[in-house]
Amino acid sequence: MVRLSDLPEYEREHLLAKNMPPLGPPAWVNHSKSIAQLRIALITTAGLHFRDDPAFKFSDATYRPIGNNENANDLIMSHSSVNFDRSGFAEDVNLVYPIDRFKELETKGVIGSLASVHYSFMGAGLLPEQYQHNTAQLAGMLKQDRVDAVFLTPV
Amino acid sequence: MCAISYYLEREGIMTTGISLVRENALALSPPRSLWVPFPLGRPLGAANNPDFQHRVIAAGLDLLNRSSGPVLEDFAEEAPDQDHATAMACPVSFIRATSETTSWSDRLSQELSILKPWYDLGKRRRNGRTLAGVSGTSMDEIIERLAEHLDTATLPTDDLVWFKHASEDAKTYYLEAMTAQPGDQNPASLHKLLWTQTVLADGLVLLAERLSRTPGLEQFARILVPRSAVELRAETAIDA
Repeated sequence: MVRLSDLPEYEREHLLAKNMPPLGPPAWVNHSKSIAQLRIALITTAGLHFRDDPAFKFSDATYRPIGNNENANDLIMSHSSVNFDRSGFAEDVNLVYPIDRFKELETKGVIGSLASVHYSFMGAGLLPEQYQHNTAQLAGMLKQDRVDAVFLTPV
Repeated sequence: MCAISYYLEREGIMTTGISLVRENALALSPPRSLWVPFPLGRPLGAANNPDFQHRVIAAGLDLLNRSSGPVLEDFAEEAPDQDHATAMACPVSFIRATSETTSWSDRLSQELSILKPWYDLGKRRRNGRTLAGVSGTSMDEIIERLAEHLDTATLPTDDLVWFKHASEDAKTYYLEAMTAQPGDQNPASLHKLLWTQTVLADGLVLLAERLSRTPGLEQFARILVPRSAVELRAETAIDA
């Protein structure tokens, strides 16, 4: 479990070193749509991509697209950190990138629809501010895809 | 995760998501965040457990109904227990059949030959899925090049990117062989088995130690072998 009190001191210090102050004034978007009307994209920071895509560098603020209709079982991981478990992702892609679960929610009408394209970043080795430029660019593409909301998963 | 959430929201896209380290989310204050008490690498809590994964997602989506924020909520459930008898479930015996004086090439090749049928079985069970292959190099060649560095006491300084990807491929290959049988196995037990019982771990730790003493490569050494593995090996050596 990731309760800091359960971790050895060196791991606690490593994780607490990532505590940063808020990046600016609170950002908040309200939507008049219900969840059942929202178009949702998934974003993971697990460093996922397909075999033909370039692997992530050791510190890398770029992102890789994952088509909604592509086979998520073909995704691999080039995250640079060695400090998290990868065996669960090897067993089930949805543990990290829950695309099948969201497709089930779409079929049941719990959410409105899924984006045409989802995205993966690699969250390691950079300050939070270093993601600003690429994230702003990504926001433009999400709007083109008529995405209302994003569901984010880390590793 | 927190930064991407914040910047997307600032651009007008609603966000919600999972946080694995509560303290980080509390400090950075992304708009909506669901803290889950799961191990790093497992944000949805349990592999091959759609019902549990749906409960995590539902709690995350529910944060989109809030009218103001930032919101940081705690997920109420612990992850279901994995198979704590991983060492028993692992089909591979890592008994060292050769002496420590045998070359790294022989020892690593022998270990790989023991693992291969289990890796292949695991891959078939996962319908052909494998995470190995980021380096674009076969496992035979990875092991051969790794052994060459160890046997000649050289460091892979001419291609650090390839070496990092190759080392991850090797670890992935081993883990997939160790989990050839069905079941979501306990990650801590797998971690211990990999880092205390295998020749691969011995080799990677030795190379990481050499790299850590090389000016400019200290950081690189830290992304080859986790600190927890070094501590675990030290504890195991004391116990023995």
